[in-house]
Amino acid sequence: MSLEELDTDLAAGVDHQVAMVMDLNKCIGCQTCTVGCKTTWTEREGTEYMYWNNVETRPGEGYPKDWEEKGGGWESPERSSVKNGALPGKEEYGEAWEFNYEEALSDPQNETLEPKGVDPEWGPNWDEDQGSGKHPNSQYFYLPRICNHCTHPTCVEACPRQAIYKRAEDGIVLVDQERCRGYRYCVEGCPYKKVYYNAAKKSSEKCIFCYPRLEGEGPDGEVSGPICAEECPTQLRLVGFLDDQDGPIYKLVEQYEVAIPLHPEYETAPNVFYIPPFDAPPQIDENGETTDIDRIPSSYLEELFGERVHEARETLRREREKVNRGGSSEVMDILTSKNPAQQYRLEVFDA
Amino acid sequence: MTDRSIALPIIAVAVLVIGSAVVFPSLAAAVPANQVPVTYQPDAGNELATPSGDAWSDVDAREIPLTSAPSGLPEASIVNTEAVEVKTAHTDSELYVWLQWEDQTRNTSEGSLDSFTDGAAVQVPANVTTSPTVELGSQDSPVNLWYWTAAEGPEEALAGGYNPGSITTMENATIETNALYQDGTWTVVMERSLVTDDQARADFDSDQDIDIAFAVWDGDNAERAGHHAYSEWYTIPLGPEETGPAAQYLLWAVAGVGIVIALLLVARTRGGN
Repeated sequence: MSLEELDTDLAAGVDHQVAMVMDLNKCIGCQTCTVGCKTTWTEREGTEYMYWNNVETRPGEGYPKDWEEKGGGWESPERSSVKNGALPGKEEYGEAWEFNYEEALSDPQNETLEPKGVDPEWGPNWDEDQGSGKHPNSQYFYLPRICNHCTHPTCVEACPRQAIYKRAEDGIVLVDQERCRGYRYCVEGCPYKKVYYNAAKKSSEKCIFCYPRLEGEGPDGEVSGPICAEECPTQLRLVGFLDDQDGPIYKLVEQYEVAIPLHPEYETAPNVFYIPPFDAPPQIDENGETTDIDRIPSSYLEELFGERVHEARETLRREREKVNRGGSSEVMDILTSKNPAQQYRLEVFDA
Repeated sequence: MTDRSIALPIIAVAVLVIGSAVVFPSLAAAVPANQVPVTYQPDAGNELATPSGDAWSDVDAREIPLTSAPSGLPEASIVNTEAVEVKTAHTDSELYVWLQWEDQTRNTSEGSLDSFTDGAAVQVPANVTTSPTVELGSQDSPVNLWYWTAAEGPEEALAGGYNPGSITTMENATIETNALYQDGTWTVVMERSLVTDDQARADFDSDQDIDIAFAVWDGDNAERAGHHAYSEWYTIPLGPEETGPAAQYLLWAVAGVGIVIALLLVARTRGGN
């Protein structure tokens, strides 16, 4: 099949588009992805506050705080102009506090573990597990987030120096550290707030989709997926190419339409897709009886994932029913596969 | 009162206007269009390099209005600096540009996530025989930027228009800067050799006019990159003294008005008789 016949909308000048699908039904909020990313990429001066990968509780304010209210993204589906965005301050990301580990561990009777010398009022994951609703109908889920390596990235459009670009070979969005002057128009322009300013280096940085690992510089010198995906205890992430029609990403996104982007109304066309929560137990009434009311309001999921979330959830339920009745479902096979070659299909386009 | 008694003093004024325009061409020379005063102070190099140096007190200042640069960046039309005072001086080897502008907040750091630095820039044609557009020149007719920020000090760049990626930082800056913030005012002196041995840098003849433009960034207003206040082209009149075209127009305009008034009044006086 020629490229023209694909459903996949690739960015101009990009040969193939790397992509990720995250199954939110499997996320346990353990932050192993966050720590894997942190220890690999952001343990340098100026990056202390950065989490290229973060996991936030939803409903919740997110990281940085209220990032969905900060603007950026395209003004309209025509993508002719970028919506002005705000620059989050350090207090909205949260400081990288020093903790009193030594005191707390040596004298646990008298010392509690806490940040040293500060009385913080906000930080990453500050509202962990708060969610919304009251017992027995409280509800929340976890939302892992990385750069979406968008097909139409407004960070790229916003940069007056052309310091950000999409790599031709796989569409990974990168900041050229030599060209970047730290103007931070990219930080303002990204509606997901996934570009970060390094005030020590005076340049902006972001998730690089672990491209050295994709290029064979992973453990044991082999091609491997991004560290956030590989380290995940529940293996909730699939990594591959959106335009690989035999791969799981294409099938979940384009064929079955069960994997959908976060905030499609920003019009940047993300290449990270989510399997939405579809199986939370229903609400319970005052008599302790189960009802047919969704625990996670579908209106809330629509706020996050757009209208397509309803059909995606319907399809997921239907496919699971098929399996429960003893039938087979390619969607469920993909989502439950434990075959690393399927989960990380990264060498299909190699020459 | 007769017509004649009104006409006579008016004719006298008209004659005076025509006469003064002809007799005192310095009237025109004193108000040239877009010129920045310059003095030759061969022995004052050390003082000129300092914003508060005594040698600057002998140099006239020109207040240059600034407006927002048309960069297309977010909020680009909102800039905080309305004018910059400019003085220039030279020795046999160095050119000094003294800039002063009001800024209520002193922003000297880009060291936090949402802070931006105050800054100023001087723009000259990369080749003094060309006349680049004031909007950062063009690919064919580039400009030199002498850029000072409160956070980083001096920097030099070569620019060829507003298109993204057209500005290239030049290694080993040849400008020196000294800055002073006092009472809500920045004063910055930029110093550069009149002559360099670099083809990408402007070479100045001490008897040739220099085209020059100015820009100011207010960090407190998140001004950075193309979001700044800027001026039109001005001239440092180092070249041989001559009355520039704009000054000549002024001269002819003054004389012309005088002549017309005189002719009208003469006609009216004759008619009255």
